[in-house]
Amino acid sequence: MQHRIRLRAWTLLSVALLIAAWLILTWGGLVRDLFLPPPDELWDGFVDLATDGYRNRTLLEHVEASLWRIGAGFATGTVVGTLLGLAMGYWRPVEALFAPFVEFLRPLPQLAYLMLLIIWLGIGETSKIILLFLAALPVSAVAARDGVRNVRLQSILVARSLGASEWQVFRHVVLPSALPEIFAGARIAIGVVYGTLIAAEIIAGSSGIGWMILDAGRFLRSDYVFVGILSIGLMGLALNGALVALEARIVHWAGR
Amino acid sequence: MTDSRSYRWLSVLSVAGFFGAWYVVNAAHLAPANLLPSMQEVWAALLDILHNGYRGTTLWENAAATLGRCLGGFVLAAIVGVPLGLWMGRSPVLAASIDYILQFMRPLPPLSYLILLILWLGTGDTSKVALLFLAAFPTIAMAAMAGVRGVNRQRIQAALACGATRAQVFRHVVLPSCLPMTMTGLRIALAVTFSTVVAAELMTASNGLGWMVFSASQFLRTDIVLLGVLILGVLGMALSRALLSLDLWLVHWRGRD
Amino acid sequence: MTTIDMSANRRTLLKAGLGLGGAALLGTIPRRARAAGPDKINIAFFTETSPSAIAKGNGWIEDVTKAKINWIEVGSGAEINTAVAAGSVDLGIGIGSAPTAAGLSQGIGYQVVYIRDNIGPAEELTVRTAANIKKPSDLIGKKVATPFGSTSHFRLLGFLKTNGLTQHQVTVLDLRPDALVAAWQRGDIDAAYVWAPAKSKLLAAGGEVFRTYDKLEAAGYVIADLIVARTAFAQQYPETLVEILKAENRALDVWTSTPDKAADIIAKQAGVTPEVARADLLEYDFVAPKRQLEPKWLGTPGHPGRFAEVLQSTAKFLAEQKSIRSVPDLAVFQKGINTAPLGQALV
Repeated sequence: MQHRIRLRAWTLLSVALLIAAWLILTWGGLVRDLFLPPPDELWDGFVDLATDGYRNRTLLEHVEASLWRIGAGFATGTVVGTLLGLAMGYWRPVEALFAPFVEFLRPLPQLAYLMLLIIWLGIGETSKIILLFLAALPVSAVAARDGVRNVRLQSILVARSLGASEWQVFRHVVLPSALPEIFAGARIAIGVVYGTLIAAEIIAGSSGIGWMILDAGRFLRSDYVFVGILSIGLMGLALNGALVALEARIVHWAGR
Repeated sequence: MTDSRSYRWLSVLSVAGFFGAWYVVNAAHLAPANLLPSMQEVWAALLDILHNGYRGTTLWENAAATLGRCLGGFVLAAIVGVPLGLWMGRSPVLAASIDYILQFMRPLPPLSYLILLILWLGTGDTSKVALLFLAAFPTIAMAAMAGVRGVNRQRIQAALACGATRAQVFRHVVLPSCLPMTMTGLRIALAVTFSTVVAAELMTASNGLGWMVFSASQFLRTDIVLLGVLILGVLGMALSRALLSLDLWLVHWRGRD
Repeated sequence: MTTIDMSANRRTLLKAGLGLGGAALLGTIPRRARAAGPDKINIAFFTETSPSAIAKGNGWIEDVTKAKINWIEVGSGAEINTAVAAGSVDLGIGIGSAPTAAGLSQGIGYQVVYIRDNIGPAEELTVRTAANIKKPSDLIGKKVATPFGSTSHFRLLGFLKTNGLTQHQVTVLDLRPDALVAAWQRGDIDAAYVWAPAKSKLLAAGGEVFRTYDKLEAAGYVIADLIVARTAFAQQYPETLVEILKAENRALDVWTSTPDKAADIIAKQAGVTPEVARADLLEYDFVAPKRQLEPKWLGTPGHPGRFAEVLQSTAKFLAEQKSIRSVPDLAVFQKGINTAPLGQALV
């Protein structure tokens, strides 16, 4: 317990040092506000964004717009990806059919095909969500496939010899052992979706935290850019935390 | 389960099917030509670029620029991230002081701080490599840290009890057990770096495959855009395959315990 | 006024302070030999159909400066602002007046040394003929796209404001010119405020011009493309700057005297056909160097012209839009215009 408190103290010390460095750099006049906004400007910027808003929307509304897109893209991408991955792991022919596309899509930079999505799907929400969907899908597919692959052959054989049907084997042996990897994949997927958010909001933006950062960046409004980065970073932490909590509830047997 | 090789023909078939569908869509005029360039057009664009280059740059030059940035950022991140992560795994104090910064940085979309990096580091390759470094570094460090933390304490104690030195314990017990996790982290980080490299070329670049794609979209040259996407996809596949082989070779004991 | 150029020390401090240790390893700070002219000049440029492309394409800048030119392609004035602030661009060719007004307000250390063109009707509102938009209020409920942060964006917002329209009535979308053309062809938008070649593509695909520029210019919404020079560069190498402006003047002469020849060279640089290049070029009012020194535009050293007021009123508008924090005095904009090099280039 005492050990923990001591570690917490180190964290606080490091935060304090970081803030002190920021104060010295900005208020000490070593760096102009254009490069790094001082605390008072950052606070003013935050208050202004939160109350008056940026381009007709408040900070909260921008966050909401982004969260909605992330949620939609992540949910559809992981559900479809996981189902596809399970099938790929379980049936070799399915894997052979889809693997080339999944492997092609996975490392493909989303920004590269942004233009194609715009001309094919337009500038509305659809193309934004499809972009996030395409970012999440291959990651979860690969995770689910590997999860199924790593199931011990022995357990399956034992279950079969005990007379379990194919479905029962899948439901009671394969799925539970694959779940930890599926969740690990989901966490990577949300990271990828998150990292793609700004790319998605380049498409005809007028809302979204990512678009706000880009637009404010155009005029070097570092105060807004920093408020945006802080919000997007905290949002990311919260999302990751939520996923970890969910994982702990569902996959309580992991590691045992 | 059957050997995966026996289904290879299915993969070939599905890829062929994809190209076949593409051909049919264009040949039967199912999609407007300005929305989907035909395979012949993309092929012609490839030949043209191989022959004449794209706006004064050759394809090799662009591919080399992109790969160079990508590997530069990745290797730097690995050089800094792996030792730091290993150290963080061993030192709770260091972990407590740095962990929250990594946690915060990891999910940040790189595009959100691109403009700041250009502002701080200029328009050259420094800011681009720094962007890729920052995109890859937290993932690598956190994976290495998790790897060290996952080492079985009993094994360390057993080794020490048998008279192993600290260096020997690190070399023969700690390193082998945290290597799989670290390698996985490196593979994820490489994927992150590769998908970020195009973002790095979004602003103030004058070469690179990402630049080529953006520049071509400025003129609505969808054939070149599609060509760029295909090249990037194949390159990305090759890179992740290469790292996967390295992983399998280095961590040959993976899955066996 | 604070200088923007960060010294080597400050750079290192900043990086260390932000924990960019790894990146710091890569950072190199260029050191210039104190000779008469620079060894290397960093020039930011747009890929566009303008006479500047002749000077670039023919290698004139390299010839007159005898320096290595590092051509940095940018997609927006914002990138030039960022790059000048970072100290990695010495000269920005073709930056719009809106980003320049923002840059000067934010204390970015550069000066306007040249007005390349008065944009006039070259950037204009284009509406879909089928949407039957005849008067400003017809835009209510419609989607209008424009690249945010550009001179066109500034004009469009000015148009809405002077006609009493709000952004709740008219949806204004942020689209780059290429994406804008794609969205238009798909029928996603009904109107757009943009420049050539995107504009000509819209006109060719069922669009018509909705004239706004004359009334907007009368109301003070003048927009122009400029050349800016980093202040420290202009002070250190005044002769080099004069030579570059001379080359720019020569390029303009090529266009006015032999338009066909000019269009050929420019087309090759911009990746379009000579016909397209020529049509685009005809839209712009390239301000002859002598005219630039008149009181209506830049003025002369000691006698600042009215363009400083244009920049200030642009900045005021941008501040209302929250794009910049505050607007400095007129004197800042007057100091931000340096007509000495152009005057010498004409001697």
